[in-house]
Order: sequence, then C-alpha cells, then structure tokens
Amino acid sequence: MILEFLTVGVILSAFLAVYLDDAVYSVAALSGTLILMAVLYSLNDAIFVAVFQLAIGVGTLAVLFLSGEMLSEKPEKKISLKGLAVAVGAALLLSVPSIFPSIEIAKAGLSSDVSFPKALWNLRAIDVVLQGLVIMTVAVGIAIVLHEKKGEE
Amino acid sequence: MMDYLILSIILLAIGFYGLLTKHDLLKIIISIELIATGASMNFVLLAPLLNKPLGEAFLILAFSTDTCVTGIVLALLVMASKKYGTSDMRKLAKLKHSQSIEKEEGRSSQISGDDA
Repeated sequence: MILEFLTVGVILSAFLAVYLDDAVYSVAALSGTLILMAVLYSLNDAIFVAVFQLAIGVGTLAVLFLSGEMLSEKPEKKISLKGLAVAVGAALLLSVPSIFPSIEIAKAGLSSDVSFPKALWNLRAIDVVLQGLVIMTVAVGIAIVLHEKKGEE
Repeated sequence: MMDYLILSIILLAIGFYGLLTKHDLLKIIISIELIATGASMNFVLLAPLLNKPLGEAFLILAFSTDTCVTGIVLALLVMASKKYGTSDMRKLAKLKHSQSIEKEEGRSSQISGDDA
C-alpha cells in the first residue's frame, strides 16, 4: 500500500513542479519528487542510490531555489484554487495507470553474485574516474564563462 | 515491473510537457530533471531482472551527468538574466532576433556611408 501512495506522491509532485508558475513552489514540489524517489529506491533495497539521490538532490535544489528566488520573474497572474484543484485531479488521473498493476518491491541486487561496491569499483572504476573528470571540467568551464562575463561587464 | 515502467513513462511525459509548454529557463531545468529522473529510475528498478547490481552503479554515474547538465543550464540562466534581464525563452529569442536585425542595419548603413 505504501508503494502506491509513494507512486501517487511522485507523480503529483512532479506534475505540480511543472504546472505551478511560481519558481519557489515549483522547486518545493520538485524536492518532494526527489525525496519520494529516494524513499522508493530505499524500499527497493537500493540504499546507496537513495543516499546519493538525497545528497545530489539537496545540492541541486539549493541552487535551484536560490536562482529561482533571485533570477526568475514573478508570475503575472496567480493560479486560482480551482485551477490548482483541476491540476491535482489531472495528476491523480495520470497516476492511476501506474498504481492499478500492484507494485511489488523488487529487491535490487538480491541473490546476486556481484555486490554493489564490487560492481562500482571493479567493473566501472574507469567510468567513475572519467565522470569525476567530466564534472571537474564542467565546473571549471562554468567558472571560466561566468568569470569572463564578469570581466566584460 | 510493468508498473515501474508506467511510472517512468509518466514522469517522462510530464517532463516533455514542461519542455514543450513552459518558456522559463528554470522550468526547463526542472523538466530536464524530471526526464532524467524518469529515465534513470529504470536502472535501479529493472536491475533485479538481470540479477546484477550494475544498474545502481550506472545510476550513480547517471546522477553525476545529470548534475553537469543542471550546472550548465543554470550558468546559461545566470548569463541570460544578467545580460538581457529576463529568463523567458521567447523574450530571449526576440531579443536575439532584434539584435541581429540591428547589426544588419548597422552594417548596411556603414556600407552605404562608405559608398557615398
């Protein structure tokens, strides 16, 4: 039963994240989506992924929240209560197809011959290092671009 | 397993809806996040079918790529907001169009001035 509620919550918050015009409410709804996804992962026995999702989600949401508050424009017209109710109804209707086939907990990695740390560090070690390089390059690139823009001003 | 696929498809559909209908850059980032979440959840939730935890390892790598994309789009958002004062894609497109017209007009007036 809890998985059905989680599924409805994920879809509802994802729909509201896109539907709501105010950036702050939108980011708050997105945080709900990411947290519920983390709970879904942990219930599926993927604890590492759940923790990683929460850690990355917190950083992303903090940046999105700040940029949404500072940079994006305020909506000209507020969404009426009726419109919000229609949106929630539409999201609940959207979630019906995913809750009717009853969701079962699928234990990720159970009875497997390869453990998660082994899979990550023995089989995908080069990928991990390359991803680190990619992230570092992107961070340096963004810093350079923003610094050049500041210099131009 | 089918229900997780349906959940993933619904998240993808919501993300695409946001990409197609919203014009604010922040909303576009949120839509991309939703698409990435919907796509990457399959790694974990379908991994037991193969009976290997490689799906989790792939998902962690996918998270970092997703963070890079978010960082790049946020940098674009900051640049656009500072330069043009707006984060609306339609207004940015109009500004770009009007700037290119102004450039062309300036170039043609320069050429006519040289001829005279």
